[in-house]
Amino acid sequence: MSENTKKNVTIDLEESEKTRLGGTSELESIEVAGKLSVKNVSERSRIWNVKVHLGDSRDSTDIATESLSGGEVDVGGTWESKYGVTVEAPIVTLSEVYDTCGTVETEEPHWAYVASKDNPVKITITIKNETDGEIDSIILNKTIPPELSNIRIISSKSGTAEFDEGTRQVVWKGFVVYPHEETNLVIGATGQVHDKEPKSAGEIVLTYKGEGQQRSVLDPDLTALTEFLMGIETAETEPNQWECTLECSNESDMIVRLDKAEVYLTPEGGGEKQKMIDAAPSIELSPNQEWSASFEVASKETPKCTQEILYTPVRVITKRVLGTIEKTPQIIPVYKIDYIKEFDPPAVNSFDKTPVEVTIEVTNAGTAKLNEVFVEDNLPDDIMPPTSEHITVWIRGEEYTGEYEFVIDPEDQNPEKPHKITFRIENLRDSIGELEPGESVKINYAVMAWRNRPEKEYPSPIACTANTYPAGIPAEVASPEDGHKLGVIYKKRAISTKKAINKGADAGEYEVVLVVSNNGEVTAENIEMTDWIPSGFEYIGTDPEDDQPDVVGIADGTNMVWKWARMNPGDKKKMRVTVQGEGEYERREPQVTSI
Amino acid sequence: MLNIKYFGHTSFAFEAKGTTILLNPGIVEGEPLVPADFQARIVIATNHVDDAIGNAAAISVNSKAWFLGNKETAEKAAEQGVKPWLLHVLEPEVPYEVPDVTITGYSLSRIDEEAGGRIDNLGLIIEMGGMRVGYLGDSAIRGLFEQLEMDILIVPIGGGATFQVKDAVSLCIDVQPRIGIPMRWTAEDQPKKFSKYIEQFSKGTKPVLMEPDQTLTIQWAAGNEFRYELN
Repeated sequence: MSENTKKNVTIDLEESEKTRLGGTSELESIEVAGKLSVKNVSERSRIWNVKVHLGDSRDSTDIATESLSGGEVDVGGTWESKYGVTVEAPIVTLSEVYDTCGTVETEEPHWAYVASKDNPVKITITIKNETDGEIDSIILNKTIPPELSNIRIISSKSGTAEFDEGTRQVVWKGFVVYPHEETNLVIGATGQVHDKEPKSAGEIVLTYKGEGQQRSVLDPDLTALTEFLMGIETAETEPNQWECTLECSNESDMIVRLDKAEVYLTPEGGGEKQKMIDAAPSIELSPNQEWSASFEVASKETPKCTQEILYTPVRVITKRVLGTIEKTPQIIPVYKIDYIKEFDPPAVNSFDKTPVEVTIEVTNAGTAKLNEVFVEDNLPDDIMPPTSEHITVWIRGEEYTGEYEFVIDPEDQNPEKPHKITFRIENLRDSIGELEPGESVKINYAVMAWRNRPEKEYPSPIACTANTYPAGIPAEVASPEDGHKLGVIYKKRAISTKKAINKGADAGEYEVVLVVSNNGEVTAENIEMTDWIPSGFEYIGTDPEDDQPDVVGIADGTNMVWKWARMNPGDKKKMRVTVQGEGEYERREPQVTSI
Repeated sequence: MLNIKYFGHTSFAFEAKGTTILLNPGIVEGEPLVPADFQARIVIATNHVDDAIGNAAAISVNSKAWFLGNKETAEKAAEQGVKPWLLHVLEPEVPYEVPDVTITGYSLSRIDEEAGGRIDNLGLIIEMGGMRVGYLGDSAIRGLFEQLEMDILIVPIGGGATFQVKDAVSLCIDVQPRIGIPMRWTAEDQPKKFSKYIEQFSKGTKPVLMEPDQTLTIQWAAGNEFRYELN
């Protein structure tokens, strides 16, 4: 009988480990269930008195006794016993890195989707064999969430991986992982979300087999009986000389191991039995193979012998670990922001100087925590910008005194130029904690509306961005280019002039009374009034003296020019100008200009 | 050295070298801001409305102080018992001088909130204790004040009949006094806003927020160093 056709009783240890991982691949639970089977592979011989001996090797299991009794196992039959095993970790480590922004290299993966943008998702799945044996029969199913499109296998270190559009699963299989080695699969996709609800990243189910491996340390042995002939032949070789032969024969179709063969002779005259054969051959007998041992003894009568034989069918042990790992989907939150920008007052009087409070509030409108916020505000010309020390920042309704960056470009307060204001607050996680959903960063500063003109528009567009830690693609929100216009309330300007020409006290003397008044609703500035003195008359003086004009000669007479920096609504100036000359004093109306 | 004490609303007392000038001892919500036995050498009301003239006549009579005001205000003071020889009508831009003090009035106006229109109000430049102080009283307009130089500018900020915060700030930006003092506020946030805006937009001007009964002491230390202390 060749080695291949030898039949041995099989003790089979099949241990199934079922592992559950959390969303970030952390071990949540592991259960190992074992099944010990004794298989009678014989085609014609029963085995009985089956006992499986475990000894101290059952320590990591829930088996209570050192040996298990299997009774009788019929031809081709199997006896089974189940048990549990306590272990700390599976023999295969599965990890998934779900990076929502795979195009930006960071130490830690990005863990949130930015709303309303393309998220370059990169999924890296790694399988590591933690044992000294091979892991095979590996099948991994990764569920691809509906938010992802443009699914592609970027790389597969082992086996083959394919995306099935119908089931929306990537199936990775057809490979072996060698002892203490690892392999990985990289999947690329584009993620798009348009609301703030957290999304599932899709579960993973991994099945595998470790042939020849076990999670327990069970080291079972077997004893059993089967069809086996044994007996003692006593034959007289000479008078009163006997040859006693112990004969054993394996009558089964299995290999039987003879462990002990002892023969005892009872002396003729009585007395203590004498051990005549004491053998421990541990010989494996093939089907129909015989084994014998003999001794000679002198006796007048037929010797009386007894025997003690121990034999058992030879067993082989087979074992394997079958594993399943189910990874719970990682939950991917969404980051997005909203903003409010307000002017107080929302509109200013034209040609006036008015302090205006600017309040910008950026709110975390998503479900992910934010680590940084950036605001770019644009102030048009005719606005005096704030200084950096006069900005106030609130977070969670409390004034924030931590670090932030506030830059005004150009760095001056010239109201004739537009200014760009940038505000950046970073690393909130290490200062006051990341900005939770619903929380906001509020920025307040004052600007000075500076003589704004009613015919002009003053847009003040804003752009806000925010990011998580680690930073990926920023969440953005912005106004239109012509957004957030500072209103200008048109206030009518009305500068009126009145003139009277009266006769003076002396001959040829006239007193010209000029009244200029601001009858409008707004302050007038740079007022310039010009009145004409005809040829033949000369300027003598003005009352009050503080309002002396510039007197300028022109071709047909003289011009008197008054300049005032500012006239408020209701302001009035009255001058009495004395002129002297000859002839008719021709009247022309005074001219007035202002801004 | 000049001491400026605030009584609330638009009422202040200026004191230097033993001379005290009381400004606008008004009656607000039925309560006089300054006690009738207050001792002053000069009492000034910048207009004839009760929140400005208040019990100025009584104080003037009790302390035998000069009463200064525009024509309408002087007439009202006379009706209230101020002797004619203690009355002096301040003509616009005509200085009134007593030893160590020069007071110059400027024609301004306040809004008549009841009848509409405007009521004449004097703005003052008071030179005493080595300082030039601009005081707008209950003014809604700035008049010539933007062209005047001064060390201290006292401006209403409460709106209504007078300047709003923005007007007061705007004037401070144009005049650039060393100190800007708000008065006559009608809401708690107004003086804070005034201070904030002055600090932010008015170069060289320090806002000083005075609470009633506080005194501001101002002096030229060592002859040329401007110092002030609020107590």
